[in-house]
Amino acid sequence: MKLFLQITLIVSSVLLVLLVLLHRGRGGGLSSLFGGGMQSSLSGSSVVEKNLDRLTLFVGSIWVISVVGVGLLLKVA
Amino acid sequence: MLSAFRSALATPDLRRKILFTLGIVVVYRLGSTMPAPGVSFKNVRECAAQVESSGIYSLINLFSGGALLQLSVFALTVMPYITASIIVQLLTVVIPRFEQLKKEGQAGQGKLTQYTRYLTIALAVLQSTGVVALAVRGQLFQNCSVPVIPDQSVFSLVVIVITMTAGTALIMWLGELITERGVGNGMSLLIFSGIAARLVPEGGNILRGQGGVVFAVVCVFGLAIIASVVFVEQGQRRIPVQYAKRMIGRRMYGGTSTYLPLKVNQAGVIPVIFASSLLYLPQLVSQLAASPTGEVSEWRRFIDTYLVNQSNWVHISMYFGLIVFFTYFYVAVTFNPDERADEMKKFGGFIPGIRPGRPTSEYLGFVLNRITLPGSIYLGTVAVLPNFFLDMTGGGGAQNFPFGGTAVLIMVGVGLDTVKQIESQLMQRNYEGFLR
Repeated sequence: MKLFLQITLIVSSVLLVLLVLLHRGRGGGLSSLFGGGMQSSLSGSSVVEKNLDRLTLFVGSIWVISVVGVGLLLKVA
Repeated sequence: MLSAFRSALATPDLRRKILFTLGIVVVYRLGSTMPAPGVSFKNVRECAAQVESSGIYSLINLFSGGALLQLSVFALTVMPYITASIIVQLLTVVIPRFEQLKKEGQAGQGKLTQYTRYLTIALAVLQSTGVVALAVRGQLFQNCSVPVIPDQSVFSLVVIVITMTAGTALIMWLGELITERGVGNGMSLLIFSGIAARLVPEGGNILRGQGGVVFAVVCVFGLAIIASVVFVEQGQRRIPVQYAKRMIGRRMYGGTSTYLPLKVNQAGVIPVIFASSLLYLPQLVSQLAASPTGEVSEWRRFIDTYLVNQSNWVHISMYFGLIVFFTYFYVAVTFNPDERADEMKKFGGFIPGIRPGRPTSEYLGFVLNRITLPGSIYLGTVAVLPNFFLDMTGGGGAQNFPFGGTAVLIMVGVGLDTVKQIESQLMQRNYEGFLR
């Protein structure tokens, strides 16, 4: 059971990293960090982004569930 | 003021954005308390309580809001992203291709952001490996007998590293979601929430340890610092710029007079972050070189007394000097007088009394150099302040002290920025906002 959860964790982690990297970065970089710089990004998100959001959310929830699962197993053991 | 808050919440569009931001912050805080798989929650709690009182991980703990010492899935927090953006920012000076991308505008900027994201993941792998290695060798929590990670097989360690990396990626996404659909800059809001979360327990520590009078004094003092920080942050020199009138077809363009704002503190908190990450290095070296037998060599004692000890005058003056240096450095990186002067000339603008072109750029450089001096001294002073009050926080990390130093600089900077953004959103509906 634990091994299964751990493998799920690895797979979902790698998927999560890849999915997040696929998103169009909107960080704005350092200049807009900590004040300064102005932002006026009024463009809406595209269909691709929306589906990517959903997929990321899905993988993210699997990730959270397996993290909690491993944690619980450790607590019981 | 209060009516502005009400109207901000009454605007459906803005209300949704604010609630969305709050929701993401809640998710982030929840994740910060969730222990990574394979980490024994009970043992970590025990060890963290011991280490926290010795206060060595001041800066990192400040950014993480205590997530690192709990070895949570979000243990690395935004640190990799900040480091990555600093590196990319600095590389624009060194690598010609990066500089070209930066000049390209929107598209080039997007590419740079993408590079920053890749670098973030790479750094996250490195840092999580480092953290896990330190934890396994018992160096993350010195003098703590119980094992933090019970199962020390390679496989389970790899699982932790990968999970922390994915956590960092998730944080990055959360931050971008806030930037995109909420209010304010996501990354800095996440840091803000981490610092704010420490505010109450840290204040409680003072109240319990030192009594009510000291607590009241600290509060008044903190408010005074915050007020003065706001005052300086808002300060700017307005250089008048006159645009020539132009006729294009039958329409008249230009002829307006505006100003070029030069902030007193153009660099923000970034110099402080640079300086403290640099000063963190000797501490790290000394820690990694710690011998298991417990004997202290000569050079380690030297580093410990002069560089690691935050109340030593060598440490304080070095910190101050580094901040002043990095302020000038960062302003030079971000604001290029030649470019500005060129741009102005292109669009038919000039500063009254000064010829466009080279004289303008010289004038801008002159004004900028002079206005940055008080800015840098102010930054250094505020950042160094808490080091003088070390005993007040009960020997805890000075930079953790919530009413002075880096914490206040970051909180005020982020707060002002966020309020300004809400304000501009509010302006689209009605004219009265928070700031008058």
